[in-house]
Amino acid sequence: MSQPTGVIHDIGYRHYDGPRLGRGAAAVALGVHSLRGTFGLGRTFKSKIMPFLLFGAMMLPAVVSIAIMALLKQAPMSYTDYAVFMQPVIAIFLAAQSPVLVAPDLRHRVIPLYLSRPNTIIDYIGAKLAAMIVALLILMVVPLTVQFIGELLIDLPMPLHTHEYLAALGGSLLNAVLLTSIGLTLASFTPRRGLGVASVIAFYMFTLAASAVLTGVLESEGYSDAASWSILLNPFFLVNAVQTNLFGTQPTEGLPFPPGAGPALILLAVVALALTGLYARYRKALAA
Amino acid sequence: MTILATEALTKRYPRVTALDGLTVSVGAGVTGLVGANGAGKSTLIKILLGLVPASEGSARVLGLDPATQGQEIRRSVGYMPEHDCLPPDQSATEFVVHMARMSGLPRTTARERAADTLRHVGLQEERYRPIGGYSTGMKQRVKLAQALVHDPKVIFLDEPTNGLDPQGRDEMLRLVHRIGTEFGISVLVCSHLLGELERICDHVIVIDAGRLLRSSAIGELTQASQVISVEVEEGLEKLAARLTETGETVAVEGRSLTVQVRADETYDLLRDAVVDLDLNLVRLEQRHARIEDVFR
Repeated sequence: MSQPTGVIHDIGYRHYDGPRLGRGAAAVALGVHSLRGTFGLGRTFKSKIMPFLLFGAMMLPAVVSIAIMALLKQAPMSYTDYAVFMQPVIAIFLAAQSPVLVAPDLRHRVIPLYLSRPNTIIDYIGAKLAAMIVALLILMVVPLTVQFIGELLIDLPMPLHTHEYLAALGGSLLNAVLLTSIGLTLASFTPRRGLGVASVIAFYMFTLAASAVLTGVLESEGYSDAASWSILLNPFFLVNAVQTNLFGTQPTEGLPFPPGAGPALILLAVVALALTGLYARYRKALAA
Repeated sequence: MTILATEALTKRYPRVTALDGLTVSVGAGVTGLVGANGAGKSTLIKILLGLVPASEGSARVLGLDPATQGQEIRRSVGYMPEHDCLPPDQSATEFVVHMARMSGLPRTTARERAADTLRHVGLQEERYRPIGGYSTGMKQRVKLAQALVHDPKVIFLDEPTNGLDPQGRDEMLRLVHRIGTEFGISVLVCSHLLGELERICDHVIVIDAGRLLRSSAIGELTQASQVISVEVEEGLEKLAARLTETGETVAVEGRSLTVQVRADETYDLLRDAVVDLDLNLVRLEQRHARIEDVFR
């Protein structure tokens, strides 16, 4: 008979007198946890499928573009148009993953547990917003950067598109901020994930259609000034307009965006409105 | 040592006054907060956590003012809400580790503390399975674990026995008692069931419609009114008569006899009386007067 090699001792309850990190550290931990969640990391295999499929779709044009540069020695796909060109994929990612960030905590009433800790509701919302902004940046910036690295490595008979690449990075940040504030706010109004997905997608489809129809009607009636503003109903065109005016790049499809600071102000107003709505939503959850 | 105290604390909502000039003080150990549903227990906890401002009056928790030092208070306090608050797709371990990190514990410490705490509340191998498949008793343990994981000085438990069967109720109450004694963490436990708190509390506060009804040590409530209940096969009257002769206060209640415990001799007298009269004793038990009776 073999002797027992170990004994389990009940050492009783132990107090903790080690370090306690501050609000900042907890908020960062929540942000990282949420960011991992948007790509399904640390979750089931099923929740990884959608984000990685969409990420793959985003990479496709960059890969094809590199192949064209290498084989045909032609210019890469426009950096500044990448987001507009890929807008359905980005919109689906936003719709599919925004509710992942906000719905479970609302639905299962986990919020009071966060609030009974040092962090405030602002920290909570901030961490969730930051997570989604970074997730969208990964989705948009990685393909751009891969394509740019490709352009650097392949010897093309033309100057590098460095300015366009950097402008597109700026545009990606604007896009991420705008889309995150709209997506999380819409998703936070329902604790049900499916409804959240549907409401974000419906919102995108509405702006897409409204922008196209209104612009078409206004143009055919001869109101070209008003038409140039109505294009901006689509958030991707709004960001493209700001990007065009801010960095002096070519507008997508040669669209006649209104010049000046107008589009940028609209973008700021939309973000401010969305964030106010988001804050109001959580104030309500707090009181309940 | 005073853990928390309130002074004329009042909370008015547009349509209802939840707390009405409540002045209480709570010391170390296990304190019960008793009141019917809607008596203001949950509102009191929210004010103490610094989540809701009081309309009037003041409060102190661990010497800090919830109105201005809510963050410091929440660093040293644990809270177990009454309602469900667990995501079903995560395991208890994942969830409690996450909540430990939200309390500011570093990553490795959070893992260690979560494992320790889940063991203390009595979750074994099932802690690696998704919470969605847990019984109500197991869910209550996870809720308790997340409130304990950062080693608070005080813990607020809102109806911890809600939805539990009698056995689960006993286990939860034993656990709460252990937290207050062995773990050395002061406990404020809310319940609308007065009876169950007498078993674990050192002190009981009774509130009704936001006002203090009574605040006293548990001993004062129950010691004075100890009663033994006796049941014999036949001859209940003979026994009652014999005990009355010897100076005891007895009352016949249906098939059983209740005897007020005057002093320790009462037990001996009762035993001797049963033997002398040659009666068949069916049941003999001590019956604590319920807190309900005291406050009625």
